[in-house]
Amino acid sequence: MHSFLTRANAILAYTLSVCACLTFLCFLSTAFSHYDTDVRLRTFKTVVKNVPDYSASREKNDLGFLTFDIKTDILLIKYFNKIFIFNWNVKQLFVYLVAEYQTKMNSLNQIILWDKIIIREDNAILELKNMNTKYYFWDDGNGLRGNNNITLHLSWNVVPNAGLLPSISAKNVHSFAFPSEYTTSRL
Amino acid sequence: MTEFIEKLKNIPMHMDYEGQARAERLSRIIVTLFGVVGFIWGYIIQQFSQTIYILGAGFVLAFIITVPPWPMYRRKPLDWQAPQFQVTESQTKTKKKK
Repeated sequence: MHSFLTRANAILAYTLSVCACLTFLCFLSTAFSHYDTDVRLRTFKTVVKNVPDYSASREKNDLGFLTFDIKTDILLIKYFNKIFIFNWNVKQLFVYLVAEYQTKMNSLNQIILWDKIIIREDNAILELKNMNTKYYFWDDGNGLRGNNNITLHLSWNVVPNAGLLPSISAKNVHSFAFPSEYTTSRL
Repeated sequence: MTEFIEKLKNIPMHMDYEGQARAERLSRIIVTLFGVVGFIWGYIIQQFSQTIYILGAGFVLAFIITVPPWPMYRRKPLDWQAPQFQVTESQTKTKKKK
């Protein structure tokens, strides 16, 4: 502590130690929080077509189309009688919609149909109506036509300031069926 | 130019021992206090970035208060013995032997 530089160095080092300590405490304060929530999913206009998937091969595969509604309030928390969308250890959410189904070829197919990044400044109350899928619903064969047990799951990753990266699935799922006839007309 | 350098060199940059101890204790107290307050405030408004900003403010304050050798850290100078110019020959010899 005898010179200008040693004092500056000591203060900087001590501040960084305090910073690391506070970050760890922030992680501890949220380590046991539960992030699961209810979600309401609905589907409309389910259509299945049989068209060649040129990105994989020239064979004709099943391609599904659907529109969906999502209604959920992710991560609403209450502290000091005030409702916060995110707790203080959440930087952003990565929300994605997965379709799961079984075919003769595979016992489990999982396809991501839609996703969204919700940052802190955004509204985390999702209320989406009549949405189109963001990614193609390709089957790797002909497993979609007449498949009557396709379930939609809403899941999300919580991206923290410090600590774990929880991956959470909503408890409720929505199941729907594709029609038993191919649609040949243009959508 | 040389006069200017001489003036710079004559600016008192030292702290006495008591002052160094005070500066260190003060900086620790300031940074810790701002860290604790920032943590509580950040928790109340659920914004961790505010915690970090408040800690940063504490760092700046501690830097301004305790890094430059302010006169308050120079209140108890060491009581040096006055320089002795007349050194007898016998004394220098004994010192060399040591």
